[in-house]
Amino acid sequence: MQHFLKGALAAGVFALSMGAAHADLAPLNSDSEPDRMDWSELDAKFGPLAAPAAGTKIGGVSKTLTNEYWRSLGQGYQNLADKLGVTLVYQAAANEGDQLGQLSIAEDLINQGFAALLLSPQTDANLIPAVEKAKAAGIPVLNVNDAVIPSAEHYVGNVQKGNGVNVANWFIQNRPDGGKVAVIEGQPGVYAAGQRTAGFTETINASGKFQVVASVPANWSREEAFNAATTILQQYPDLIGFYANNDGMALGVVEAVKAAGKQSQVAVFGTDGISDAYAAIKAGDLTGTVDSFPVLTGEIALEVSLRLLAGQKLPRVVATPQALITKDNIDTYSTQDIAALRAALLKK
Amino acid sequence: MNSIFKSIKFRDAGTLIGLILISVVFASLSPTFLTAPNLLNILQQSSINACIALGMTLVIISGGIDLSVGPVAALTAILGAAMMVAGVPIPVAILGALAAGAACGFVNGALIAWGGLQPFIVTLGGLSLYRALALIYTGGQPIFGLPDGFRALTNGTLASVPTPVIIVAVLAVLAWVILNKTPLGEYFMAIGGNPEAARIAGVPVVLTKLAAYMISGFMAAVAAMILIGRLGAAEPTMGTLWELDAIAASAIGGASLMGGRGSIPGTLIGCIILGTLRNGLTLLNVQAFYQLLATGIIIIVAMLIDKFASGAGGGKQG
Repeated sequence: MQHFLKGALAAGVFALSMGAAHADLAPLNSDSEPDRMDWSELDAKFGPLAAPAAGTKIGGVSKTLTNEYWRSLGQGYQNLADKLGVTLVYQAAANEGDQLGQLSIAEDLINQGFAALLLSPQTDANLIPAVEKAKAAGIPVLNVNDAVIPSAEHYVGNVQKGNGVNVANWFIQNRPDGGKVAVIEGQPGVYAAGQRTAGFTETINASGKFQVVASVPANWSREEAFNAATTILQQYPDLIGFYANNDGMALGVVEAVKAAGKQSQVAVFGTDGISDAYAAIKAGDLTGTVDSFPVLTGEIALEVSLRLLAGQKLPRVVATPQALITKDNIDTYSTQDIAALRAALLKK
Repeated sequence: MNSIFKSIKFRDAGTLIGLILISVVFASLSPTFLTAPNLLNILQQSSINACIALGMTLVIISGGIDLSVGPVAALTAILGAAMMVAGVPIPVAILGALAAGAACGFVNGALIAWGGLQPFIVTLGGLSLYRALALIYTGGQPIFGLPDGFRALTNGTLASVPTPVIIVAVLAVLAWVILNKTPLGEYFMAIGGNPEAARIAGVPVVLTKLAAYMISGFMAAVAAMILIGRLGAAEPTMGTLWELDAIAASAIGGASLMGGRGSIPGTLIGCIILGTLRNGLTLLNVQAFYQLLATGIIIIVAMLIDKFASGAGGGKQG
């Protein structure tokens, strides 16, 4: 009986301390969270990654496999999992709007004995029940790019604002006379879209020479971006550049610019670094993109989960690499050799 | 009348056999499938679709369709969440949200019944309209910070059964009673089966249509409350494509889009079939694309069986 009471008391104190830890955790803002580190410092600060326990199983749930970004992220998970002998299960919803479907998938995985879960939620809220269930079951959860679960204890992903800042800086350096620019935004209310737009607009406005004449949402759709860009080009024939919140939309903009016959006047930038964007940069259609290296991001996310399982106390946010890709440096970054890519990014 | 009643029961047995077959396959392939937590998981995951599908079934039986259920859910979720976050007492906020759902249904029903417009087009308009209101009101942002007292309502269990499952079970019994034991249920069947004959026979057609859409809006609001309770947040984008899942469940359960035919138990089993497919295929680590494929095949097979069964049964129903 006494033994039981002791156990109950200990469990109670443990639950309380868990509750307190939870209450202390401010809603996550992955770009501005102070408790953070860059991926490049992992080895230096925490030593090389130790071999995981035999039979470790990690589950990954991402938005949808119709988008190359999420296929590449899964490839990164798989690469490192194969190298270390970790079992990986990677699932995604049928489309980017199937929020309940994604929740069901995440919940179904929790019952199956995974050591950690890597979640890339469709919205900030749709996986919250799965996160709570995993916490109750003692399974660590990593929020991997790019919707941000406010209660997430661990986040691995790129600095969304940095995407826009990188493109703005290109304009400031390469178009010293300034001019009119426009932004094609992703879906309104999505964290990544807001931050990318804010990073671009704030940086380019601060230079004083540029005017953001239009900033309109095209909901990640190539077709909507094409239509929006066509309208904007008619309205502002002297426009010198577009920044689109993702590459799909940027490629829609490229078509609109071509149709208007303004390729030499208008620079077009995207975000993500999908293979179509690389091809378009090589062909001279797209000026550039900000690559966030999904395969490498996947490797880093899996590494972070294994470090957490090994008991390392990592900061809440681990920032993953990103780089502005133009025809000048595309050969360095278009490599399929992830080790070479790592080296190039670490040197940057 | 009696023979129709019998044939519907026969149809429900067919749906149930389909569910059992699917479950046997998954149970033999995955050791996790046939465990109590997983089966409760399936019921819980199916409960939101079931809630929507119950209302949808009544609308379909009355010869209509409601494409606006997802956005109505989003709008009522936003309204309920905004009220709770602003400090409105929880029961008042819930009642407000449910009333808003019924009001959206009233607008749909009024345009259809009094305006004489086609249900498909009216609710297609509603699909955009209610979604737009939810997006405009929130500026696209989710509403976080729902009170714990409210979340406890949907996250609790009763005798280890999750509350959403119990809520939906109660609503299903109510829907069954309405459909089978009240004049309103007969009116649904009558105006869906033969609107002209129903009107001549003195069925209050306008009120019956209004009732069907208001029930559907109300059920969408209930689903919204269950979901935001589970999420702890309301999002203006939630509920995308819910109408199609609900129609699929109704159709698998034996509802005819021509009206006049449908079954509450059949719809429930249809929802569980869809939930079971998703769950089982996830457990087997089958990608979502194949889940879509399986869903499509099941719907078409169910329709084919319907076609041949009604052919064999000798003649038209309704």
